Amino acid sequence: MATATIEVLDPTAEAIPEHAVVSPRPNSLDGVTLGLLANGKQNSPELLDMVHDVLADSYEFAGVVARNKGDASRPCPDDILQELAERCDAVVTASGD
Amino acid sequence: MTTPLTSKRLTFDDEAALLDSFLERGWTDGLPVVPPTEDRVRATLEAGGRSPSDILGTEPVRGRVVTAEKAAVNAVMAGCLPEYFPIVAAALEAMCEPRFNLHAVTVSTMGAAVLMVVNGPAAREVGLGSGVSVFGPGNRANATIGRAIRLVVMNVTGARPGELDKATMGHAGKYTWCMAECEETSPWEPLHVERGFDEGESAVTVFPGLSPIPVTSGDEDPGAILGGFEDAMFAAGTGQDELVVVLSPELLGHFRRAGWSKRMVQEALFEVGTRERDGGPVRSVSSPGAVRVLTAGGAAGGFAAVIPLWGAGSSSQSVTRRI
Repeated sequence: MATATIEVLDPTAEAIPEHAVVSPRPNSLDGVTLGLLANGKQNSPELLDMVHDVLADSYEFAGVVARNKGDASRPCPDDILQELAERCDAVVTASGD
Repeated sequence: MTTPLTSKRLTFDDEAALLDSFLERGWTDGLPVVPPTEDRVRATLEAGGRSPSDILGTEPVRGRVVTAEKAAVNAVMAGCLPEYFPIVAAALEAMCEPRFNLHAVTVSTMGAAVLMVVNGPAAREVGLGSGVSVFGPGNRANATIGRAIRLVVMNVTGARPGELDKATMGHAGKYTWCMAECEETSPWEPLHVERGFDEGESAVTVFPGLSPIPVTSGDEDPGAILGGFEDAMFAAGTGQDELVVVLSPELLGHFRRAGWSKRMVQEALFEVGTRERDGGPVRSVSSPGAVRVLTAGGAAGGFAAVIPLWGAGSSSQSVTRRI
């Protein structure tokens, strides 16, 4: 006698699009231009400034580009993303609250 | 030819094993679900006149696509009858409009739910409740339609509690929150007519609703009734661009007898929601029209609910879609 089983459909959708890839990590932060992207929450720029100060004790940056996306609940505007992509070697982003 | 369903198939020895597995994977709201078998999912899609690959919308921030198939799988799990699916699908279309800001609404620490208001014949056809216990248990359509969109938010757009959904507290409306309006007994035009639909059309409106705040009144005079709303109107801040106010039939009766229009209620509440601060007026809402007056609830009781919205009605706006 065949065993009764129940077959159902998976309710979930793919979490990550197949084309998404992670950027290569820099080997060192020495000589890089560092981006700081605040998410628009109160204190996020201050938090990133502190992160910068801590990192600056150990690394020599070529430059720093600090931006604030302004609205925590919406995606970062394309022009800010594009500028960070063009000018920076690494970007740190943070949510402060 | 039957359009294929593309969801992965999962096989279990029995229903108990299925339920354990779904709960363990975080695919439910913590309550048991109806097993989404192919037959049930197909019946749901058919009742909604949808092809499995139809795209109901895309959550704009993370690019998650909500297909009719995934919506139907989750609607079955929620316990929806197939004939509820047109309402579920229209609500998801509304939620995916960029101005609703679905991602933020469903992941924010503020813990908003999605309040669905269904108007027109579609509400009556599926027996959606607008009366007694309107926000409470007891009606299959209210309970499962609201639950269906929550399961979609968890399973398709990914806002699971503790993962993307970081609600500090959340509230019970996040399990399910779907209502109709008292269209037959209200002297005022229903919500969807206010928004440009005909009375004979059906539509669903989605609001990013925070916890309802009860307001009680034993008064019969409209001005005295509305005077009791001040604290509730300020509960979520000032300058709100949308604020939902639900009036019970008993309160509505007092307004009807006094000849009050909905607009008069909005204007009176705008004044009630005004405080003096630093020598000038501070308003709870940005305009009289920002007060969305709905009618619902059981026949007895001088009760109302004020429902503040996530983002004070400006970072997210309510959206109405035809069913």
